[in-house]
Amino acid sequence: MLCQNCGRNEATTHIKRIVDGESAELHLCTSCAQHLGYVGLFTGGFGGGFSSLLSRFFPEAALPAAEEEVERCPGCGSSFEDIIRTGMMGCAECYDIFYDRLKPSLSRIHGRATHVGKTSTTEDDRSERRAEVRRLEAELKEAVSAEEYEQAAVLRDRLRELRGETK
Amino acid sequence: MTKWYMLAGKENDVAVSSKVSLARNLRDHVFTSRLTTEEKEQIAVEVENAVGESLQGKFVTTRMDSLSRYAAISLAERDLVSPEFVSAQEGRTFLMTPDESLSLMVCEEDHVKIQALLPGLELDRAFELADQMDTILDDALGFSFDPKLGYLTQCPTNIGTAMRASVVLQLPAMRILGRVRHLSNTVSRLGLVLTGAYGEGDTPVGSLYLLTNSVTLGISEEAALGNLSSLALSIIEQEREARKELMENLSFQDLLWRSYGTLKSARVMSFREFMEALSVVKVGIAAGEFDIPMNTVNELIFSMQPATLNTTAGKALDRQERDVLRAETVRELFR
Repeated sequence: MLCQNCGRNEATTHIKRIVDGESAELHLCTSCAQHLGYVGLFTGGFGGGFSSLLSRFFPEAALPAAEEEVERCPGCGSSFEDIIRTGMMGCAECYDIFYDRLKPSLSRIHGRATHVGKTSTTEDDRSERRAEVRRLEAELKEAVSAEEYEQAAVLRDRLRELRGETK
Repeated sequence: MTKWYMLAGKENDVAVSSKVSLARNLRDHVFTSRLTTEEKEQIAVEVENAVGESLQGKFVTTRMDSLSRYAAISLAERDLVSPEFVSAQEGRTFLMTPDESLSLMVCEEDHVKIQALLPGLELDRAFELADQMDTILDDALGFSFDPKLGYLTQCPTNIGTAMRASVVLQLPAMRILGRVRHLSNTVSRLGLVLTGAYGEGDTPVGSLYLLTNSVTLGISEEAALGNLSSLALSIIEQEREARKELMENLSFQDLLWRSYGTLKSARVMSFREFMEALSVVKVGIAAGEFDIPMNTVNELIFSMQPATLNTTAGKALDRQERDVLRAETVRELFR
């Protein structure tokens, strides 16, 4: 489908609108969506916008091909490929599991990648556990690259244990 | 019942409405696109209970699939729900206060979207309302939050504060003088976005524009609101200057009185024709040329929309019936 604004490029962003008392959809190419200010708005076009952004970071060839190698989020079963395809995270835990791979595109969208502002009032040990998971993951990576496989195995088991608890 | 959009707000000669939305997700559920209809309804019950405990009887709950098509679309016309939310009504629930100023969309893109809407430029107060509701719901339900990434949302573009704040501005004079395009460039350099509020592309219906924040991670709610408010105020000043210039111009004077004639005399009036005439007449009202309260004019932007006219009439009118009813209602006011 061609962009309804320029009529030249393929439409990648689809925005739901209300026109004359009816639901309507506006189909735009990435550059017209940006030009008309639709990228980065709360509703409509976000999914498309983010998934096309991610796809640019991770071209098809860079994705693992074999099903058994695919890492899946224990919380919801999403693979990283699912997230790229839909532009949507499956659950809160996806942010932990795929954090390292998401980071470049997060920084590209948000500039700085650390939260400032209101904090959840019921912040419990769950987020501490998340931080622990992230720390262990970093240690695991280091251990593997330093070829300290015994240490890596210990870390992996602790990670499994923690992830098993956080559903 | 008086609705929020019937009241007079600050700077309402240019600012029509202010809105603050917070996107939140419950901890113990996967995100919305992975939920079944039953699970969505379960979340709606949890939200309803959480609200009920603290604000008993203050919210009206509506299952979207129980609404007629036009009643659902009317909610979107009044900016209470997103066009996305009415595109599929199943499994979606909507809660609002009787004056419609505070509302909750359940299972839109995220589990809960808390929204506060006020007339004129009132971003701080709108945030206050949304923020209070957020704290109440968070205490009862527990929202997904990460110390580094902030509130976790289904779409990674919204993480952090997960807050969208926006102001609807009516800029007929700047549009006529061709100053909006230049403005859009300035706005985007400041990390904000300016789009048409209704209609598509560069010529939004009735010169209504939406000014929104676009960055949610790494900037606090207060800072984002402050940026948005000060830019809105500066645009409001520029529009006022442009209106003064236009009032001196003969061809604008001609357009103004012709538009007034349309509102005063037309027998059949489409929404677009109405909005174009109204946006021009607003310049005359602000200059004291016509004696009509600004909040009455702003109210019409909401109440004269197609599906909202059906809702007021209580039945599905066809296009011509709506255009006749719109012309009659407006004629009464501009007599």
